[in-house]
Amino acid sequence: MTGYVMQRLVLMLVTLLAIITLTFFLMHAVPGGPFVSDKMMAPEIQAAINAKYHLDDPVWLQYLNYLKGIASFDLGPSFKYAGMSVNEIIAEGLPTTLKVGVLALICVVSLGVPLGIVAALNRNRWPDTLVMVVATIGVAVPSYVIATVALYLFALRLGWVPTFGLDDWRGYFLPVFALSGFWISFIARLARSSLLETLQQDYMITAKAKGLKPGQILFKHGLRNSLIPVVTVLGPVVANLITGSFVIEQIFALPGIGRHFVLSITNRDYTAIMGITIFYAAVLMVMIFIVDMLYLVLDPRIKYREAR
Amino acid sequence: MTDSPVAPQMWEPAARVAGAAEQIAAPSLTYWQDVRQRLWRNRTAMAGLVFIILLVIAAIFGPMVSPHTYYDQDLKLANIPPAFQLYEVTDGSGETTRFFFNSGNLNIYEVTDDGRIAGLIRGKKDLIKKQTLFTFGDVEVTLHTPTQTLTRGDGVVLAPGQWQWNMSNVFGTDQLGRDVLARQLYGARISLTVAFVATLVNFFIGVFYGGISGYLGGRIDTLMMRIVEVIATIPLTLYVILIMVVFNSGFFSVIIAIGSVYWVDMARIVRGQILTLKQQDYVAAARTMGASTGRILTRHLLPNSIGPILVALTMLIPSAIFIESFMSFIGLGVTPPEASWGTLTSEAVETLRAYPYQMFFPAAAISLTMFAFNFLGDGLRDALDPRLRT
Repeated sequence: MTGYVMQRLVLMLVTLLAIITLTFFLMHAVPGGPFVSDKMMAPEIQAAINAKYHLDDPVWLQYLNYLKGIASFDLGPSFKYAGMSVNEIIAEGLPTTLKVGVLALICVVSLGVPLGIVAALNRNRWPDTLVMVVATIGVAVPSYVIATVALYLFALRLGWVPTFGLDDWRGYFLPVFALSGFWISFIARLARSSLLETLQQDYMITAKAKGLKPGQILFKHGLRNSLIPVVTVLGPVVANLITGSFVIEQIFALPGIGRHFVLSITNRDYTAIMGITIFYAAVLMVMIFIVDMLYLVLDPRIKYREAR
Repeated sequence: MTDSPVAPQMWEPAARVAGAAEQIAAPSLTYWQDVRQRLWRNRTAMAGLVFIILLVIAAIFGPMVSPHTYYDQDLKLANIPPAFQLYEVTDGSGETTRFFFNSGNLNIYEVTDDGRIAGLIRGKKDLIKKQTLFTFGDVEVTLHTPTQTLTRGDGVVLAPGQWQWNMSNVFGTDQLGRDVLARQLYGARISLTVAFVATLVNFFIGVFYGGISGYLGGRIDTLMMRIVEVIATIPLTLYVILIMVVFNSGFFSVIIAIGSVYWVDMARIVRGQILTLKQQDYVAAARTMGASTGRILTRHLLPNSIGPILVALTMLIPSAIFIESFMSFIGLGVTPPEASWGTLTSEAVETLRAYPYQMFFPAAAISLTMFAFNFLGDGLRDALDPRLRT
């Protein structure tokens, strides 16, 4: 078990290193330096700026320095916002993104799973049909369409919620709804089909035959086994909540990391792009790791061996 | 138990007919005939398939027959709705002018008898009285801006007449006066190109990568799957963004990005299939007869895993289309004046207050396409499932 965890951690470090290397050399493959702009700069100033940001060093030295920086959790200075470091940009956007993202994740789990259970227990009756119709719509309609339609209906037409920002608690409704809509539907469908499959297993009949209460059967035998596929997709869910935040934060004008990221791309702020990408990758890997550990706890049948 | 509903004579054995047991009730079907029949009977899947075929035809031939192009601007005819309510004014000489009033930009456009837009009618603006004066022959019509009412010279308030569908721009025009239908069709081309590229990549890289990895096994498999794991850790959107930064944003970058990393999921699925299939006896038989690895892979293993490959493909295509429109929506996809469903939606968001209906067409296009692929994928999965075979 500890061996497996160690192996996973080493693999995570290797993956992270690969991602850092990839983004670093991709960013350095861009033709023209970050300070080549429309304004002509005096060559001395250009040289001074290059020296300040160590851009006159050979690439391998820059790479080593960058790695050294990351090892001490320093993602370097931003090229476009003078005096701002990438760490500060992330720290500024993180609370907003985290609040919306965590709320969305809570919605996904606390709405998606019960909806799936209700649908499975009422198979082929109206609650099932209703959930499946809504879930099919939710899976097919892109999040930005959900967001804009909801924005038009609830903010512009009905005026129930503000059109942008999070100053008001009601401002959370639409971003969280738009961000989690797809995954609530997806999880509901997944939980439904998984529970239906579990309900047909022999051990369910055994449980019923030995006289367990229906609640006990459902929660101890049915749900625990059928939720394993749901837990496995939680890693991808987090990944998609992160990338989904790009568009949601743009539509609702939220000052989160996603918005900073998109801005840094249009501004060609290379260090910020690199830093935020690496930050995202690290968050994702930690999340996937946590999910895999959860998996281990939920399903005792799985025994991770050190070498697969 | 005494009053059983089964009458005693029902327990009599049935009459034996010679050869009845040998009789074949239904014609025996091969697996693929059965799949085709079941898919054919699935109405939602067929609706999805028909929609996709129509979309392909429209995307290929639509721009050729359309009188408009996706980039031609006409600012005088900006933000024209697809349908409008007509007003009519008859002047002293008996000449009738038909026009409609666009409440979003407070303009009046003349309309011909067959519903085409003849042009913008210019009026005299009176900013102090907040009104605009239009003259039709000897009749004057005043537009009172705050209340948006049209009053004829003799004081009669004009009432809107019947609805008329816009015949010159069937879906209306956008804020730069470009034909929305032409732009929609162009967007369909973009989306379908992405779908096509995703298919090619999945077939040529994903299937073979997964196939080779699964078939060879051992250390090569471990190494190949580690590479896949590293690639799969970062969401595709981030790759698209990184590649976009290197190659400048544009449709080309989306294609490159999807082309370079979009085969990972397929590789995993195929590897899983091959891992189970390669234990089969027919593989051992083929190998005994001296078939090469390449031949076993392409002739025996891959054709037998075509079912899961097809199902995965119908799920991967819509998500590729979605990623392109998503990137275009946040402004990192296709560059103007090119139109994708994503950019069309984001343009509609800018004018959401004044022209909410502009949202409808791009949103409907992308959603319907997603539905179509999802339904087709679900139908295909059910049809290919051997457990459901009758």
